[in-house]
Amino acid sequence: MTELNQIDLRALAKGDKRTWDGFVAAAAPLINAVVRRALASYRLSEEDVMDAGQDVFVRLCANDFRLLKTYDPARAGLSTWLAVVARSAAVDHARRRRQATQPLDEVPEANLGVEDRHIEKLKIPQGLLTERQLLILKCLYDEERDVAEVAQLLKIDAQTVRSTHHKALLRLRAHFGEETP
Amino acid sequence: MSTERMPSSDRELWQRLATGPVASAPITELDFAAWIEGRLTEREAARIEAAVAVDPEMRRAALELADILGKPLPEAPARLEVRARALVGFAVEKRFAEPVAAPPKIRAGLFDWLFAWDRSFALQRAVTITAAIVLAVSGFMMGGGLSETLAAERYVTKWQTTDPYSSNELTDFLGSDF
Repeated sequence: MTELNQIDLRALAKGDKRTWDGFVAAAAPLINAVVRRALASYRLSEEDVMDAGQDVFVRLCANDFRLLKTYDPARAGLSTWLAVVARSAAVDHARRRRQATQPLDEVPEANLGVEDRHIEKLKIPQGLLTERQLLILKCLYDEERDVAEVAQLLKIDAQTVRSTHHKALLRLRAHFGEETP
Repeated sequence: MSTERMPSSDRELWQRLATGPVASAPITELDFAAWIEGRLTEREAARIEAAVAVDPEMRRAALELADILGKPLPEAPARLEVRARALVGFAVEKRFAEPVAAPPKIRAGLFDWLFAWDRSFALQRAVTITAAIVLAVSGFMMGGGLSETLAAERYVTKWQTTDPYSSNELTDFLGSDF
């Protein structure tokens, strides 16, 4: 089977049938996995999941392969770019089909909490935290991800995530006048 | 995978804080993919990270994709591949194939079709021509053939060339009464 990185992108963008078939065989497992994962919370039928997968391929070859021609191998790997496109297409498909539903125990607690409007939240001033610090705190607390997952996302080691988290909290405590634990 | 969680005091502090809206330029799929792969400079990455930090949907996408891209993938259903292959057909392939010599000018019309021996359907053409000949000959024979036609022509010519004022059976009969 042809690997994704062996696909002749020029021939693919020209609509060569043989290259397209090779591309489909190489890309289908990735697109299938991304689409299934993205649609897991939408509780769609198998038929809908198949249609969402087909939507990705349609999007790639529509208008004389316009989307495919925007891909630049110098900027990102084909599989990563395809995964981003597939997820985006799958979410669009699901939104067109129905509203998302998610079992209660899979929803992060932070999203379920009813906000007490009497307690005004303290706004983190812009520039207090770096973008990375803010992202790490959001992933750890709002998304309830563990350190290893965040490290995997940011391509850094777990210890760096921990230290970035620690420095961010020190800054926040210093700014809001809290004592460090 | 570890399930390391942050201390509850840190969580409590975080829950009392809110981030303000951050205006950011739109992020393309290619930018996002480059960021996931860690290919961007610190400055470029900061722009994406700011956007991902404030957009829960982008955060979820990033976390999901980072997880999927690092794992072996199961086979896709055959139906997905079959349907996707059909999206690009042979017509497209022909359209983009190497240019070939222009085809010879095709003659049109029934006569051309019947007598163009260099083309296909030679047997059909031969049968059609034979049937046309048989029909023409049999129709001619049923009409009496050539001899009867000539006789009829002779009679008409003779009748038309007769002087209307000259004697014939009728004028003779009428004339006999006077």
